[in-house]
Parts: sequence; structure tokens; C-alpha cells
Amino acid sequence: MKKYWKSLTELKNKENSISDQPMPKGNLEQILDIFDKNENGSKSNRRDFLKLCGYSLAISTVVASCENSVQKAIPYLIKPEEITPGKANYYASSFAKGSDFCSILIKTRVGRPIKIEGNDLSTVTNGGTSSRVQASVLDLYDTSRYKNPLKENEKLLWEELDEFVRKELNRLKNANEEVVLLTSSVYSPSTISVIQKFIAQYPNVKWVQYDSQSYSALIQASKMCFGKAGIADYRFDYADIIVSFDADFLGTWLMPVEYIRQYAKKRKLSDGNTSMSQHIQLESRLSLTGSNADKRIPVKPSEQRLLLAQLYNEILKLAGKDTYTVLNTSGDMQGIAKDLWSHKGKSLVVSGSNDVNVQLIVNAINYELENYGSTLRFEKQLQTSKAIESDMKNLLEDMKAGKVKALLAYGVNPVFDYYKGDEFALALKKIGFTIALDEVPNETTSLMKFVAPDNHYLESWNDFEPKANRYSLMQPGIRPLFNTRQFQSSLLSWIGEDPDYLKFIKAYWEKNFYPMQNTYPNFVTYWNNTLQQGVFEPNLKSVSDTKFNYGGINNILDELAKQPKSKGIELQVYESIAIGDGKMANNPWLQEMPDPISKICWDNYLCISPKLASELMMETGDVVEVNSKVKLPVYVLPGQAYNTVAVAKGYGRQVCGIVGKNVGVNVNSLHNSSVDFIDNVNLIKTGEKYDLAMTQTHHSMEGRAIVREADLEEYKKNPAAGNESHHAYENASIYEKPKFPNHHWGLVVDLNSCVGCGACSIACQAENNVPVVGKKEVIRAHEMSWIRIDRYFSGDEFNPDVSFQPVMCQHCDNAPCENVCPVAATSHSSEGLNQMAYNRCIGTRYCGNNCPYKVRRFNWFDFTKADSIPNNLHDVAEMTIDLKRMVLNPDVTVRAKGVIEKCSLCVQRIQEGKLNAKIKGRKVKDGEIKTACEQACPSGAIIFGDLNDKESKLVKETSSKRNYHLLEEIHTLPSVSYLTKIRNKKMNHS
Amino acid sequence: MSKPYRLTCALFIFILQLAPFQILASEADSTIKDDHSSHFDYFLNSEKRGERLFKGLTRTPVEWQSCVSCHNINYIDTLNWNPSAKDIAGTFANKSIDEFRSVLMSPLGKKMEKSHKDYSFSDEELGYIKSYLQKLNNSVLYETKPKVNNLILFFFLGALITLALVDLFFTKKIKYKIIPVLIFIFAFGYQIQMLAEGAMALGRKQNYAPIQPIKFSHKIHATDNKIDCRYCHTTVDESKSAGIPHVNLCLNCHLIVREGTNSGKFEINKIHAAIENNTSVEWIRIHQLPDHVFFSHAQHANVGKRDCQECHGVVEEMHVLKQVEDLSMGWCLDCHDKTAVDFRENGYYSESFKELHEQLTSGAIDSVRVTDIGGRECARCHY
Repeated sequence: MKKYWKSLTELKNKENSISDQPMPKGNLEQILDIFDKNENGSKSNRRDFLKLCGYSLAISTVVASCENSVQKAIPYLIKPEEITPGKANYYASSFAKGSDFCSILIKTRVGRPIKIEGNDLSTVTNGGTSSRVQASVLDLYDTSRYKNPLKENEKLLWEELDEFVRKELNRLKNANEEVVLLTSSVYSPSTISVIQKFIAQYPNVKWVQYDSQSYSALIQASKMCFGKAGIADYRFDYADIIVSFDADFLGTWLMPVEYIRQYAKKRKLSDGNTSMSQHIQLESRLSLTGSNADKRIPVKPSEQRLLLAQLYNEILKLAGKDTYTVLNTSGDMQGIAKDLWSHKGKSLVVSGSNDVNVQLIVNAINYELENYGSTLRFEKQLQTSKAIESDMKNLLEDMKAGKVKALLAYGVNPVFDYYKGDEFALALKKIGFTIALDEVPNETTSLMKFVAPDNHYLESWNDFEPKANRYSLMQPGIRPLFNTRQFQSSLLSWIGEDPDYLKFIKAYWEKNFYPMQNTYPNFVTYWNNTLQQGVFEPNLKSVSDTKFNYGGINNILDELAKQPKSKGIELQVYESIAIGDGKMANNPWLQEMPDPISKICWDNYLCISPKLASELMMETGDVVEVNSKVKLPVYVLPGQAYNTVAVAKGYGRQVCGIVGKNVGVNVNSLHNSSVDFIDNVNLIKTGEKYDLAMTQTHHSMEGRAIVREADLEEYKKNPAAGNESHHAYENASIYEKPKFPNHHWGLVVDLNSCVGCGACSIACQAENNVPVVGKKEVIRAHEMSWIRIDRYFSGDEFNPDVSFQPVMCQHCDNAPCENVCPVAATSHSSEGLNQMAYNRCIGTRYCGNNCPYKVRRFNWFDFTKADSIPNNLHDVAEMTIDLKRMVLNPDVTVRAKGVIEKCSLCVQRIQEGKLNAKIKGRKVKDGEIKTACEQACPSGAIIFGDLNDKESKLVKETSSKRNYHLLEEIHTLPSVSYLTKIRNKKMNHS
Repeated sequence: MSKPYRLTCALFIFILQLAPFQILASEADSTIKDDHSSHFDYFLNSEKRGERLFKGLTRTPVEWQSCVSCHNINYIDTLNWNPSAKDIAGTFANKSIDEFRSVLMSPLGKKMEKSHKDYSFSDEELGYIKSYLQKLNNSVLYETKPKVNNLILFFFLGALITLALVDLFFTKKIKYKIIPVLIFIFAFGYQIQMLAEGAMALGRKQNYAPIQPIKFSHKIHATDNKIDCRYCHTTVDESKSAGIPHVNLCLNCHLIVREGTNSGKFEINKIHAAIENNTSVEWIRIHQLPDHVFFSHAQHANVGKRDCQECHGVVEEMHVLKQVEDLSMGWCLDCHDKTAVDFRENGYYSESFKELHEQLTSGAIDSVRVTDIGGRECARCHY
């Protein structure tokens, strides 16, 4: 069996890893400390104890004779027809934040959005979600949001603001001075129309789009090669072989939700399927995508373009075309080229680079491989990123030169995330008239004179075209909580039109989209049905010409060949899975979501390769100074290419709510976004130490066969490959085996589909009111997540294989936790659930100690104001504030201090599903009940169902030879099982 | 905690329980005295004069009933259909004296017409009454009957125990030691029982029947007018919550029915006022389970076909709604143990539970009870 290790410390020094560190003190120890203060005072301790006893007796007497508090029951005055108190309503909508897009359903309870779910009807996102989409509902209740229009931080009325803005805009128009409207990429047809109208009214307005993560190289390369600017529609589900150069397409690159679905679909081994795609990743930092790759080659960022050129050369060779002799090709590239060539038309080469030359080569390769039309398509181009980087550069020049007299900014934060943020801030201060149209204060809006606050997306109307001809509507789930107004309405009212944006959208759709279909006879039914479904996807065949006509490749290759090899340390600035570009930094759920690879939360850190770390005598937790600019803690990341370091951006927000403020370090000054990396980085060890909140070393599984895996070749020969050892006993317990007369709920996790993105854990947090504990508590291993994703490394530390394994309560039929509970607070149900009655729990934590899977969590504090004792509170996430508590799911108990909690298999959803079936007098249908994690998963790796229903999808999967349970040998008989991970390692030609 | 401290503490709580409003009231009185130094002024000031008029303490024609005989000022145990003085005060707080007069002198409702017959207060007198009512509106009145008996008894028993123990060990006045010992055992045992009962009743509200903002009678609606429960509690069959009817639903009937036999127009007018002023009706919640209990009306009323009365008592006989059962977990489980499931009719049950169906057909069991299919399991109600 392979040897798995969870962290480098574990790999290197097993003996003294844990015992050397002083363990942080627990609550009880801290209480005992108080008693110990009086050194010889053992007598007084006893007296204190007696005092406490007497006091509690008196209190209980008084309490027992108290009256109950008076509770009010306030009905609606006029009940909205669609609302049934106690039942949820779902509204189809869209999530859009910058380039992040997802078609969603908003779950509301009595008009209050509490959860986001994926919209199955969308062919773009296919019902998948990401952690950021799941967490976005909490931002609605963010206390730091703008609550009123502001003029230099003074509240004013909308009418006053409108009048002032109109006057100012007209003055500038008459003077013909330049006004700039700065937005993130806009891919909403109606919004574009509004902006066009705005520009028509004020012709002096220049519209600039800016994205913190620029994809302008992709857009420009496409224009240069095919005469059509834009980003191709990538189809990972059509590719037999994927070669990715630093494109983290499962994590942050373009549309991860869509790509994960496609990627996992091609690699599913259900229903007797024995083929899966092969994925080769060449990258410097071990990204989420790289960790899922079948073959990963660590390379420095600077080497990638040369490797691409070599690959192109090899493919030309195979195609029998003219080659470039200047390039010497490495063995790896020759093999990859042959593999690609043998899957011509069914392969895909992508690059995450933002260098036009690199993207030109990638396009040329894909063209030679005849991938256009199959794995790369143009008729449904991706529209979520449109910004061209040079526009921003020009804008900054104009601003510095004083040409720009007014700036309107919407959805952007260049002061924080543009690499010349400081210059931008200085130039911004010089502009006479600046107005921010954002929903929350940020580094940029705080420098602007006026604020016309936008609604949160859950309060807004809008439409989107994430991909050409794939439309998705956004409808509000709640009225605006504060005195805010949509960006579009603001623009409309400033050009003196009706500010009702919904009316505008409807008119626009009636004119443009309604004629594109013939299903609905009139616009009203069309609109109502589309709104209900959330998406409109007309069948349009537009054949696009994909003729490659770019002749400059020669020059690019020549230039590349001449470039000297870099020797210094290279630094890459990347977007993290949780925080992204930092716009959602004030979201505590995301801050506490551990990074899939490093398992660190609440911080950014400098990833450094193990070899470089040992050369520089550094270890995880050391603070280094990078280029004498920023100080960062080091994290030794296995798999990081030698002589490279990487750090996540989006951290170190300064103007932000209290959750995200000063979390991590802002590294935007370190990089230059038009270049993928910076060279010759200088690292100086400061000698300081820094505590990183890691969830990784706490759950070590001590080298047992937890993750089972096999190679595709082995699997083809024997479907049970890697899954040989099974526990044979039917019932070896002293207890009678429980019977399940009707349902036996179970869950199966396909490790081959799971990419480790973490959407499930945030979905679970939202669904089950799982509290946020804060960095300090995470360091003390007190995190509360009900579903954690374990990450195991195996093999070589310089380029390890990575396995992800979501672990939730296994709902054992012979549960070790149940028989140690002294108060029977946890017990087994006749439906196979391991039940947890919080109000029976007295907090002995015996169950947590006896659980072999370590999935039980203890509430060390009252995180969500479940009781009224102020000293119990521990609130790092403002979750005790009424506004934020609105996000809590009313169907799940809010746990108080001192009780154990754990995954319930979303029993509230099970009960709801059963009740619906009972009301209709029928059986529960397979797939009718979905757990929150299953619903959120973009790859369909989690399947919930009834093990007693032999026709169910769950039973089909669990009867596979790949099925196994965690720690079968201890005879816990879990209801949750796993399917082995299969790697497609065998290269045909290399 | 030392004994004297405990005693002071107990005394303080005792006083607090008994007399908070008296303390407050005396303070208020003293300020009035400061303002009006002369004794004469004190009785002639508008509020005092209004109070005397309201309570019928001044000379008025014999056939006039004093206001207080219908409109109670203090908390009363029995049901009074007429609005209390405080109710009236609240209603007329922001209305002009003309409106007050027109309602008082020329009543519209039949019931009011009878008692307000031939009223002829002068404007001045009306003003006095109104200002008295104003004062009432601002003061705090008892909403429930104060209960201190249990606490007194508890502390009395505590004193008894102390005395018994003191005598047993120190003074030794009583010859037979068994007597103080018996006193101790009895008193302490009783205290423990009180504590246990009190603790168990904590959070439960058996026999709770608070005064509601509108004197709504289920008896009049459900029995006299034969309105079905589901006409108002519309969501009982589909949702967790049976639904307190929204105010607009009341208007289905009360758009036309503007006057009640017992309460006249005053109570029904509150519905119209709520709609007109866009203010909510804040009912006092009676049946309330703790937050960690997830009870579904749809499960019990629709699937289980339980009658409302099984849990809520004979609501249709109640003028003032009262919680009949204690809604404890033991009470829930008793019913789950006894109640048979609709096992053959409902497709959810009939198409599964093979073994139980076999036992049913073979006659091994005569019915399947809720307990038999997991009705005692934690996660059915707690999650």
C-alpha cells in the first residue's frame, strides 16, 4: 500500500511532532487556573465550591418560581399569497460578482433568503455551486454594508444626490470634460443597454471595464488568431486528454463550476464505464487542479512558455509541417505531444497565462490538434471576462494627467487589487467628482466623494449572458434591507428616465429575446415561465468560422528561444479558492474555509518548495520579508516547484467590515498583473514566528487504508483494484444488529469525482447553522465544520499525489459514540441515522473521544447567541447580531455552549421529504431528498439515498466493486461509503 | 454564601416580587404633591376629578352607571367583554375630545346604547375623564395576577428547617429529637419537591390563558357561528405551522359583521384599525414548544388525521384561549405510544414496512402504533 502523509512534519519527524509543543489550554484548565492562583489555598477552593453550590441553589429557587417570558405571535396583516409560514419558497436567480457567475435558486423562509442552491436547469452551471456562491447569502446581512446614499460620509437623500449628480454630469457634458464609468466586466445585456443609453445622454462618458484577474491575453489572442475577440467555450467533457499549463480551471480559472462538472463527467466510472480522460498539469504551485491531475510536472513559471513552444514544435513535427530547429525538446514534451496527437480533435491544451504570446501558441497548438469545434467552441463564447488590461493602464495615465474630471465606479476596487493601487489612490483623490456605486465600503469607495449604494444581488433584478445565447435572470429574494438602489436604476435616473429597472429589463427582453423562441404565445407567459425557470437558452445554430490566420508565431518562437533561462526565485500571485480577489473578504464562512491544499484558513502565506525551504533553513510558520516589501509567514508546500514561491491575493483588506479587516497581508504591490510571475525574488528570514490556523494535522488517520486508490489499467483488469481488504463479519457486535424496516439512509462519496473544491462544506455551514469559531479557536483545533475535506499526500514530497476525501459523520450502525454516551443523547434511529439530541447532551465529550472518524464537534462557546448568558459568547463573525442571525436556518437548532454536534445527514430535509411523500400518500422517490452537500457539489461526487431501495442510484453505486467503508476493520458498519479513486497514470508514449 | 447574606438576598427578592409597582406609584404621587402644594388643588386637578367621575365617586344622576362598573381598571380574574379602562385609554389617546364625546354620548352599538343611555357629561367633565385615562395609559398595570405563594412557602419551609436544625444541635428545647428530625425531613422533602416541580414546569405553560390584544372568543366563532378551524388556520394541512390567521382574513366576515353580541363594536373595530393604520396585531403566544422541538402540524393534522382538540383541548368552548395540555415530551410520547398509524390507507406506509404488514395480516399485531415505526426516536422531533 502507498504511504500517505498529511503534512511534512508528519513525514519527517514522527516522534516529536506533537509531544514537543505545549498544548493550548482548554476551558476547564483555564477555570482551574483561577483556583490555583492561591497557592496554598486548597481550603478556600473547597469553600468557593460550596459557595457556588449555595449560590446555584438560590438561583434555581428564584428561577423556578419565575414566570415564563411573554412571547408574541404576530401574523401578517395581509399575507402574501405565495408565502406559507413554515415552508420555504425557492426563486430562480443568478449569482454574479465580477466574473464569478452561477445560476441559482434562492431559498427563502417567510421572505428571508437563507440558502443558495444550484439551478439544475442551467446548462452553464448545471446545478453546481461554489463555496463563494454558497457563502454569498451571508453578505446580504453584512453589517458593514452602505445603508444610505452618502456625500463625504454624510447621509443624504436619494433625491438630493440625484439632483447633484445630474447637475454635475450636465456641467461636465457642456464643458466636454471626460467622465469615466469604471465597472467590472459587464455581461448583462440590459445593463449594457442602460450604459449605452447613459453614454448616449452624456457622450463625454468613457466606459472602462476592469477585472482584478485579467484574461485579456485570451481575448486578444483569440482576436488575433480568429478575428473574433472573446473567450472560447471550453468543453472539458469532450477532451480525452487535457494538458494544462498553470490554468487552475477547477479552482479559479474562468468558470470553475462549469468546468468541474464537465471534468468530473468525463472521469466518472459509474455504469460500467471504464474510460476516463487523462489530465496533465504543468505548474509551479500545487493548485487544486494540479492536485487532481493524473500527471503533474512542477515547472517554474518562466519555463512554461518555452515548454509550450516545444510542444507546438513537436506537434508540428507530428503533423508533418515545418518545424523550428532552434528548440530542443525535452522527453516529457515529446511524450505529451504524441499523446495529444493520438487524440486529435479530442484533446485540449489550456494555459492560465496572461501573456498574449503564450495564448497565441496555445491557440496554434489547439488548432493543429483540430480541437476547435469539439473541445473548444466559438458559438457559445464565454462572456464573463471582457476587460482589456491596457484600458486600465490608459485610464490610470489619464487620471494622473488630470484628463479625467469625474469617475463613476461600480463593482471594482482597484485601489486594493490593481497592482498600481497606490498610484490609483493618489490619482483618484485629485478627481473633482467621484461617485461609488458599490454595496459595501472598500478601499476605493472610501476615497470617493459620493456613494450611491447598490443593492445586494439578492435584492436586485438583472439579466446575464454568461455565455453567448445562454441567458440567466436575476430576481430578488427580499426587498432592499437598507436605503439602497440598484446601479442600473441610478444610471437610469441620472439620464432622467424611469428608474424602474425591472420594467427596463422586461421591455428589453420583449424586444430582443422574446422573438427568439416560439414556445410561448405571448410575452407575459414567456416572461413568467422564464422567470420561474431562471434561464432562457434558445436553440440557435450559429456556425462560426474558425480559420486560423495568424502568421506571427515564428517570431514569438524565435524570441522565446533567445530568452535566457532565469535562475532566481520566481513568485506567483494567485487567487485563493475561498477568498478569490478579496471582494468577499468580509465573509466569515469563506475566511474559515480551509484552503483545499494547505488546509490553512484566516491567512495568506508564502508557499515555498520543500527543497528551497531546507536550503534557506525555513519551516512552516517562519516569517520572511519578500522583496523588502511585505512580511509573510511561510508554508512549506509539497509539490511546489523548486525555486518558486507563491502567495494568495485578496487578503489584507483595510477598508472592510470587522471580519475581513487586516486578515492576512495585501500582496498586490508585489506583482504586475500583465506578467504571470516576478523574477529574482528576494527572501529574507526575519526570525519571527507566526501561528497559522491549520486544520490539517488535527485529524491524522495514522496510516490506515482510508483513501483507496488504483490505476486505471489495474481497474480495467480488476474493478476491485486497490479495494481488496474487506471486513468479513456480518455482525461482530455484542449488540443486536439494528433493523431498518423502511428507510436506511446512506451516502456515497465518489472519490474519483471529488475535486476537493469545498463547496459542500460551506453549503453545510449555511444549511446547518454551523458556527464560525475564529482563527484562535481553529489553532486550538476547535473548528466546527460538519463536513471536512481531508487531504492526503502520498509519494514523493517534491511532487506528491494528492487525494481528497470529504469526511462527515459516517452514521455507523454499530456506532462507538452511541454506547459511551452517559445520557443517551446520541442514539440510533430505525432509519439508520446516528441521532444527536442537543438538549440532552451534557457535554462529556465521550462520544467525540470514541469516534474513530473524529467528526463530532464540541461547542466550546456560544457562537450564535443560542442562550442569553453573555459570558458564554464568543463571536468573531458577528453572528450574534440580529441582522446576521437572519441567515440562520429555522429548521435546525442553534446549538448552545457545551454540547456536541455533528452531521445529521440533513435530517431536516429527510423529515421534509418524508412528510411530502406522506401527504401525497406515496413512497419517497429516489433523488427527491438531497442533502445540502449533495446539492452544492458541482461534480456530483456525493449521492444520498435509501440503502433499502434497491433501485436507487445510491445502491447502484454502493454495489460497485469500488465501494468501501472507512475503517471497516473496527466494525462500525457505516452508512456512508466511498468509491475508490482511480488515476489515469499510464502515458501511452512517454 | 453566608447565612445573613442569603437572608438579605431572599428578603430583597421577596420585596421586589411583592411591591415594585407600589414603590413606583408612591414616587409618582410624591412628584404630583410637589407640583400642587395645596390640598384643594390636588382634588380639583383634572386627573383626580376625572378619576372620581370614572369611578362614580362624585354626584351623578342615579340611573347613570359609573364607568368603572363596566370598564375595569385593575386586573380581574373573570372575563369582561367590555373594554377595560386601559383599552379605552389606549384607543382615545391620540383622538380629539370631540370624537371622545361623540362616542361616549351618542353610542352606535346596541350594547353600548343601553348602558350609555342619557349620558350628558359636560365638556369640562369629559376633559377630566380623558386626562385621567391618559394617565392610566401611561402607567403600568398588572397584566397578570401576581403570584408569590410558592416563594413564601419555600422560604417559610427554609426558616422551619433552620429552626429545627438549630434546636436539634444547639438549643435542644424539644424533648423528643424525633420531632425536629421529622420537621426537617418533611420540610426539606417538600422543598425538594417544589423545586423539582417548578423546574419541570419551567418553559411549560399548562393552563396559561393570557389576556389577548383582542378579546377573540373561539366559542363564538367555532361553536356559535360554526366556523371550521381550517377556515382560519389555513396552513395546518401543509405546513409545520397551523398559521395564525392574517388580519385580512378576519375581514372576510368582519367587513360586514361590525358588531358583536358581547363585546359590541370596540373589539371588532381593532381589526379595522389595524388594517387602516397598517399596524400589526400582537397576539400573545400560548402554545409554544421550545426551539429544539420541530413539531409539524401537517404531519399530525393531515397525515396522522388527529383532531385539533386532542392537543389544544376543547377550544370551541373557550371564550379565552387556554393551554390545556402541558405539551411536555412525556405527553407527546404517551400519545405516540397509544396512537395507531393509518397503515393501510396511506401509500407511504402501505408500500413499505413489509415485516409489519405481514404481522398485521397474520394477526400477530392488531395495529401499528407510532412507536412501532420509530415514533420515540430523537431525530423525529429534535434536529
